[in-house]
Amino acid sequence: MTTLELLPRPKDAAPWRNRSKSLLTKIALASVLPVVLAIAIGKAFGIPGPITLLLVFLPLQLLASGLAALSTRGKRGVADSQLNVAVLFATTFVAIMLGSVLFSVVSFGLNAISPHFAYQNNVYVTSTTSLEYGGAGHALLGTVLVVGLAALIAVPVGIAVAVYLTETRGRFRGPVRFFAQSMSGLPSIVAGLFIFAVFVSTGISRPAGWLASSALVLLMLPTVIRMSEEVLKLVPGDLRSAALALGAPQRKAFFLVIMPAAKTGLVTAILLGIARIVGETAPLLLTMRVNPNTNVNVFSGDMSTLPTYIFAFLTAGFDTGRARSWAAAFLLLAVVGLIFGTARAISAKSIKK
Amino acid sequence: MNLQTQNSNIAVMDADSHLEARNIHVWFKERHVLSDVSLHFPTNSVTALIGPSGCGKSTFIRTLNRMHELIPGAGLAGSVYLDNEDIYAAGVDPVTIRLRVGMVFQKPNPFPTMTIKGNVLAGLRLSNRRTRDEDELVESCLNRASLWNEVKDRLDAPAGSLSGGQQQRLCIARSLALAPEVLLMDEPCSALDPGSTRRIEETIRELSSDMTVVIVTHNMQQAQRVSDQTAFFLAEEGQPGHVVEFGSTDNLFSSPNDPRTEDYVNGRFG
Repeated sequence: MTTLELLPRPKDAAPWRNRSKSLLTKIALASVLPVVLAIAIGKAFGIPGPITLLLVFLPLQLLASGLAALSTRGKRGVADSQLNVAVLFATTFVAIMLGSVLFSVVSFGLNAISPHFAYQNNVYVTSTTSLEYGGAGHALLGTVLVVGLAALIAVPVGIAVAVYLTETRGRFRGPVRFFAQSMSGLPSIVAGLFIFAVFVSTGISRPAGWLASSALVLLMLPTVIRMSEEVLKLVPGDLRSAALALGAPQRKAFFLVIMPAAKTGLVTAILLGIARIVGETAPLLLTMRVNPNTNVNVFSGDMSTLPTYIFAFLTAGFDTGRARSWAAAFLLLAVVGLIFGTARAISAKSIKK
Repeated sequence: MNLQTQNSNIAVMDADSHLEARNIHVWFKERHVLSDVSLHFPTNSVTALIGPSGCGKSTFIRTLNRMHELIPGAGLAGSVYLDNEDIYAAGVDPVTIRLRVGMVFQKPNPFPTMTIKGNVLAGLRLSNRRTRDEDELVESCLNRASLWNEVKDRLDAPAGSLSGGQQQRLCIARSLALAPEVLLMDEPCSALDPGSTRRIEETIRELSSDMTVVIVTHNMQQAQRVSDQTAFFLAEEGQPGHVVEFGSTDNLFSSPNDPRTEDYVNGRFG
């Protein structure tokens, strides 16, 4: 018997990538010509850039790709090419928008940010204070406390409701699902006004962190419920049957089999819930106002969070205020990135034992 | 239909019933899908349930460990006796029944978030029970499911890394860990290759030394190879499924009493 030799993989071991010269020429023409023509037309008629891009370049590109596709792949290729161009154009547009937002936040934010910005408060900050003093430390702390308290309530309740909707045959599933869905359409300022009307107007409590958290719970709950429900629905019925056939009580089957299977999705549900509320401003201004000083007691006294800090300094009307707002925006972005990154890392960690 | 013949067939096997279904009727919503099924399963016997698709075999087997009631809209009349106790009597906890009557499903369904070892021990953990020596239990269960040699070096690998046939044997091992008295198998080999099928059949023969086994199968040869007695289910057009003939496997295949049974086991329909 002869032994087979192990061959190294050749560089071109992908025949499906081979393209004929004429096709390559057509692709090159279809990619370059519209750009050149659009620039020429734009310049010749003095059309502003964005309008050239949308009304001259896009139709030209569609036409060129369509013709190239027609000559190489026939009618079916045309539809494909048109969609490809449209999708790529839209994607690029969105990517540029997102990039520009990130770029502004980072570049403006870096002007005013320094280590002390993350831990000092701004009690003595006025329009004439230099950027070397004061910071958003109190607002950062406020964000963590207020959002944390809201998540502490909304996550267990939200997941419990989702479990009720998916794992039981409760009689009120219909109404509960309906109310959860209706709640997701609640404008955030209305949630704030509701809490204000119930607690502040009636004199039960002065504005305080826990009122803000309550308003945020109203906003976070529907997101957590709906996402968790969708995620739990995706767990195969096979697994439920398997667990129950092994003589597991429903509670055990949920905690040991269904929840682990849905873990990644549940983490995403929680993250989306937090993302929904971490940038909220309006309900917080109503329910706990703003405070230049550090306040760690969520049950008494005014507090600031990063979004309300940004709002307060943006509307203050002086240059260092605007700089501080950008720096706080940068800080908020970093916090959100940190939360999401950690959660992703936790949920991606492979299951041991 | 000749009830007399049926009953005489049943009478042969009547001694020492471990599990017995009496006059089982099943409905889904208002639809009557299974009519008057009475079968009994002697201790340590292997019973094959055969019949064309949609005749109620799987539905019937799920009534034997109270998995049936988990399907929305399910209805049931009749009784199932396990060691002379009605498992549908008021106050009987289905969880205790399912611990005594294990089940292996048609599609392998190991828990994907657990390791191979974790899957074998899952039943214990799910039912809050302990064992003195986990490793010994894992080895003995995997051995009885004839999977041990293939996985002994990677017990901590995720269960999803096994092939389909191995996953099914893992599911059998998982059921065995609870030491059930009865094992229900719903077409356990329908998704498997001949090699895995042969090994599972060997497993079934070995298990029957101390366990009552009920197996749904579409494979006549398999029914003949593994079972002591066979029930032939049929659902004729517009009628609910019912048992046409029930008796020892040898008799049912070699000299069936009902012409429909003869046609079916000889592959003339279904």
